[in-house]
Amino acid sequence: MADPTKPRASFAPWDRRELPGSFSVEETARRVGNYKWAETKLFEVLGGWIATVPELDIKLRLGTHCYKHAWHAELWHKRLPELREMNPARLTVPANDALVRFVDAMTEPEDASLTIEKLVGVYRVYIPHFISAYTYHLNNTSEITDMPTIRSLKFILQDEFEDWRDGEMLIQSLLETPDHVDRAAAHQAKLEKLMLEAGGIAGHGSIGINTQAPQGALS
Amino acid sequence: MALTVTPDTYNFVAFDTAYTARIAERMATQLGLDDIDILLAINENSSLTRIDVTVTDALITIAPHSGALEDTRRPRQQSELNTTITIARGMLRARDRLRGGFADAPADAELTLPQAAAWDTYIMGRIAHMDIVLNKQAWVYNFRNRHGFSDAVDAVFEKLWNCESTTWAELSSLSANTVSVTA
Amino acid sequence: MKKFMPVEELARDERFNQITQADRMADGRNALIGEAEKSRKSNRLTPARPDASEAARALMHGIFVGEIQALEGAGRTCWDFTTGEEAPFELKLDMARQAWDEARHVEISLKLSDWMGSEIGQYAENTVLFQAACSNDPVLRLAGVNRALEGLAIDVFTTMKEFGEIAGDPYLEFCEDWMLADEVTHVKMGSDWLRKITENDPERRKKALEFQGIVDKMFSYGGSRSDSEESSFAIARRFRELAGFTEDENDHIADLGMQALNERKAQLREKQAAVTN
Repeated sequence: MADPTKPRASFAPWDRRELPGSFSVEETARRVGNYKWAETKLFEVLGGWIATVPELDIKLRLGTHCYKHAWHAELWHKRLPELREMNPARLTVPANDALVRFVDAMTEPEDASLTIEKLVGVYRVYIPHFISAYTYHLNNTSEITDMPTIRSLKFILQDEFEDWRDGEMLIQSLLETPDHVDRAAAHQAKLEKLMLEAGGIAGHGSIGINTQAPQGALS
Repeated sequence: MALTVTPDTYNFVAFDTAYTARIAERMATQLGLDDIDILLAINENSSLTRIDVTVTDALITIAPHSGALEDTRRPRQQSELNTTITIARGMLRARDRLRGGFADAPADAELTLPQAAAWDTYIMGRIAHMDIVLNKQAWVYNFRNRHGFSDAVDAVFEKLWNCESTTWAELSSLSANTVSVTA
Repeated sequence: MKKFMPVEELARDERFNQITQADRMADGRNALIGEAEKSRKSNRLTPARPDASEAARALMHGIFVGEIQALEGAGRTCWDFTTGEEAPFELKLDMARQAWDEARHVEISLKLSDWMGSEIGQYAENTVLFQAACSNDPVLRLAGVNRALEGLAIDVFTTMKEFGEIAGDPYLEFCEDWMLADEVTHVKMGSDWLRKITENDPERRKKALEFQGIVDKMFSYGGSRSDSEESSFAIARRFRELAGFTEDENDHIADLGMQALNERKAQLREKQAAVTN
């Protein structure tokens, strides 16, 4: 029988969590607000596109993914007041104007013939940037003080990886000719350039390094 | 012998009498019914899929409701496939009664739902074996609805579907036994 | 991508053939009057009907395309209205959740259609659900989609669940029961949001309920749904109450159904008389 009076170490030998983290409460709230804005834009457009894609399997996938990203937005919405932001709408903003331009360009395709462009925008550009921004956040925040954010990030990342894989497979299934490959690549390049300008989901520094493009690089 | 299709013109559906007659003539020949008068009286007032069949020594009357000949994708338009299947169903039922060991079967209106489903399975199986495209699963489902949902019921379905020749006595007894085992 | 999509632009592959409610109502054939009326004691969709399997298959296809339109409607609500200004964030979260639920319902309907022996696009798709339900006002859309359309789904699923129970079909009964649980949730969402958004705006609430009445009557499909045995399916009062409909509201829907049935019968008599004369 264990001795109830015997002192034990406060942190078990296998618990190697560290106290320091890269983000203050304010910086965390700023990032979380950016995440919520970006996830909201994503679930909105996925919902809107459902009626515009003729491929039945893709229509259904978009419906499923629409909810997952809405749930991510909800998790961030609920996290904001815990980070001293009692008016979540105040921080629910895009990281910068360039990200707004990216979202506008990503959500532009509408015609039933543009499913490749729709999926490329989400699954080859936007979601990979979520994965990188979330991974950077997960690996750099305090493993003790910011555990609630870490828990949400882990749930969300699991969804993002699964959705990315679903989307990539759907894209591959649609690419039937070299022309389709060119279309996908051209749209990806166009959007990736806009994202370069934006610097990522949480702006420049989304993955810890300053991705600010040199002036004129995009012209 | 004569084959008559009525009506000549339609008010509620876009069906073609000459086209229907050509399909019916071909089917009558294929089923060996070109030696008896046949009246194909289409009930265009009803959108149901029912087919009423009456038989005398001199005349086969097949009265399908218009839904049985319709293209379900394009309401009120005629479907060649459904017209073919419906005519084949009606003619096979008539031939069974006249020459196929079903002389003692009750009139269509007197058949129980399981009996009708068993007979339909026997008929549709023969149509499928004529290489006419049809959805077998739809007839599995119909048979299960009337006899029960089990592997044993499915085995009876397969037996009837692949049966080349049977009689009313055998078929009705098989249906009754299947229902009683399921119940 | 633009806001507010017209029904004609709903994207479908070549298997689908879409028709409007006007196309459907132009059909002068019937199972309601004359000989058909005399030959049948009831038009209820039960296994006792001689054409039960075919009728159930056709209804299942109707459910399948209805679920696609419900999915599209819920998805469009996420897109068509500006978050915070035109529709609360939480309302949109509910609509996204509903989109996922409807996507599952389409999947379930596809599996059940296979089970029952029908194919995608085997029957014409009536686009009335999307057309009628997707108003440009979010409150009216809630009334149209979540209360009228999803309310109709409760009635239809209850009919199909009972059909499965009576026929002993284990899949049908099981699946319809699950879908029914979701639909009750969706109607409740609509009822709750309608109350909340129009709390201080009785005029808007009145307008929304009037719109729901119009859509409810349309969704009675010329009398397919009412308390009369002449209708294919009944008003599922118990499940509707769970979803937040009051007894008065259910009575009102039943009255609308009877009106639609009688109007349809009169219309059919007129069409048939025109031909006879």
